[in-house]
Amino acid sequence: MTIATAIVRGTPVFGRMFSVDKSTGLEEINAWPALMIMASFIWLAVAGLLGLVMPATQMFDLDSGHFYTTLTLHGAALAFPFSFQLMVGVGLHRSGGCVGKPITGWLPAMCFITMNLGAALLTVAVLMGFKVSLVVMFPLPLVGAQMGIWSMNTVILGFTGIYLVLACMILFYPLLGLSMLFFGKKRQDLVLSERSLNDPGMLGMTLSALTLLIAGLPLVVVGTTLLLALYGVIPMSLAAWAADPVVFQYCFYIFAHNLMEAMALMVSSAMYATLPLYLADGTRKLFSDKLANTALWILLLTSVTSFLHHFITFYPNQPASLSYWGNIMSWGTGIGAAISIFTVLATIWQHGLRAEPGIIAVLLGWALYILDGASAIVTSNVAWAYVLHGTMWQSGHTMTVILAMSLMWMGVLYHHYPVITGRKLDPVLGTWFVRLFTVGGFGAAIAMLAGGAAGMPRRFADWNQEGWMFYGNMIMIFGLILGASFVVYAYNLLQSRELGDALGQRVGAT
Amino acid sequence: MLDFLFSGWGAFWVTMGMLLPFAGMFWYVIHRKSVVDSGPGTTPPATLSRLEGYWLTAVFVIFVTINLASLKFMPIIATARAATGGLPVQEVQLTATSWSYEMSTREVEAGKPVRFAGRAKDTQHGFAVYHPDGRMLFTMLMMPGVAKPTSVVHTFTDPGTYKVRCLEYCGIAHHGMKDELTVVKSKSAT
Ligand code: HEM
Ligand SMILES: [Cu+2]
Repeated sequence: MTIATAIVRGTPVFGRMFSVDKSTGLEEINAWPALMIMASFIWLAVAGLLGLVMPATQMFDLDSGHFYTTLTLHGAALAFPFSFQLMVGVGLHRSGGCVGKPITGWLPAMCFITMNLGAALLTVAVLMGFKVSLVVMFPLPLVGAQMGIWSMNTVILGFTGIYLVLACMILFYPLLGLSMLFFGKKRQDLVLSERSLNDPGMLGMTLSALTLLIAGLPLVVVGTTLLLALYGVIPMSLAAWAADPVVFQYCFYIFAHNLMEAMALMVSSAMYATLPLYLADGTRKLFSDKLANTALWILLLTSVTSFLHHFITFYPNQPASLSYWGNIMSWGTGIGAAISIFTVLATIWQHGLRAEPGIIAVLLGWALYILDGASAIVTSNVAWAYVLHGTMWQSGHTMTVILAMSLMWMGVLYHHYPVITGRKLDPVLGTWFVRLFTVGGFGAAIAMLAGGAAGMPRRFADWNQEGWMFYGNMIMIFGLILGASFVVYAYNLLQSRELGDALGQRVGAT
Repeated sequence: MLDFLFSGWGAFWVTMGMLLPFAGMFWYVIHRKSVVDSGPGTTPPATLSRLEGYWLTAVFVIFVTINLASLKFMPIIATARAATGGLPVQEVQLTATSWSYEMSTREVEAGKPVRFAGRAKDTQHGFAVYHPDGRMLFTMLMMPGVAKPTSVVHTFTDPGTYKVRCLEYCGIAHHGMKDELTVVKSKSAT
């Protein structure tokens, strides 16, 4: 039994959802993914509740400090140790089975440790007062310490946490993904469904790993410099260039924006790989691989520089030419989306669909992602940016993109779950999860966009003016429905039945 | 019309205008091909290719139209107009510090362009101006340590009291960072 399997076994409640099936000889590709997926759901359980706490603090007029604490924890935990880690877990399981390589050794361990330890350190820092939101708002951390709002020690702790999380996302995970794709010997006994790089289901994974590695490098250099200065290894004067707000913010968004795009590439490719398995006529092929790959390439090429849309209202410090470039590139990703819409719908039209909860969750997550994409390109237009930047529209967009990708991964997980655990899920509960998630996800997204349209500020502890509380109440209602969907999903995992029950074979149960 | 389109609610309806046709198509295809009849489609490939062409053309046309229409609202255009319009430009210089603003004046005239030039002293701040009816007119992002102030040129049309808010999260009292502008009727006939 590997360490990963043992940790899953030893974890109360959540461990039961993901205990690994060892009878199939696939433990080497099941163990680390099972542990990471389990950890991601623990973060979801905590941080999802915090989502509900945010509107609650506003409705009951609680201390505004609680709102900012919750905001920082909610955003950071759901974006990184939940959503990203879920992607790493399910994505690695996919890669392992596609290329026939074990997921073992120090790289997956480092991925797991840096992500979870980093997120835990950041959580402690936030609880100690480090309320900087998930995007850090540099130089707010240092200014807050100078003003005595939080201590320098919490800044060091928080930055160390963020640094570890970044190490997972920029270094260990992409390296692990690429090393599995390009190095090591293929083991036939681990191949579940073989794929080559020409396959859209594979191309996205490769592009995504490269994007993270390359777009993250500037931030790694800046972050390392700052951290060394904070720990007193180098004098602050040597780190002054990295502490320049413009330098930090640009490096931050080159990465943060492309992180979202890399996750989108990854999940799109997972969808391209999963959809064909559920076609009614057994074709197992997309309408056109070429179109699917074209969409991925367009998404990649246009997204790299579209991060400039974060600074449109910084004019003339960001020249109009760059803002306009960011505007057009962002809209270019829409062309990629249009091609993928056509590919997906034409595939289903030509071959029919076996509508099981897993694939429906993937498709509805993708539909939510399309809504999010529409809201994203609209706010990337120079004219609209001036009336939407800094409003709840942006939070709606950030949350929806992560929510959509998470729903898609939760759908893909339906497909992988029996392989990992040797158990199967109940389709009726699955259908209820999809229904609730769709209502909650679309509802919360539209409520947040509408709040933004009405000028409701984001990250703002005073909704009770100008009629904004209406949108706050809507977020609460749809948030509760969203929360209910997660409860159903978790219950389904807890109740899963063993595949081999008929044979009297007890697999993986504790 | 264009003024409404490029407002907050205009953005909302454009987004819904993209979502609804997609959602309709999405529901129709999935419902039809999974519930009604999941048999293989009989649509000839040539028809699908034609559809693909129409679809991508439509998307491209929307892309170009919206982005051309929005050019008029680029800040550089308002700046250029103010410089060449013959009207005197009113200057409002402001400095944002956690959690308040210093402004060279809080009163401006309607009908004449106002140039807001803002700097942030300590950390990032915003400067968003809201119409008395609650609409947000524009926001600016200011960062410490840059050579030039962030700027926007805006011509107010309605006299009244306008709220100013910071829209860049700047710490625990961020929501209290606000101010007011008074827009008065133009003093000289134009
Ligand atoms: C359980 C129901 C949920 C509720 C009620 C909720 C509520 C909210 C609210 C009110 C905000 C905006 C805060 C602001 O900017 O003022 C927000 C932001 C956000 N939410 Fe949620 N949320 C929920 C679930 C989720 C889930 C499941 C995810 C991820 C998969 C998520 C990810 C995010 C992210 C990334 C942000 C952006 C934070 C920021 O910009 O600082 N939320 N959420
Ligand atoms: Cu501020």
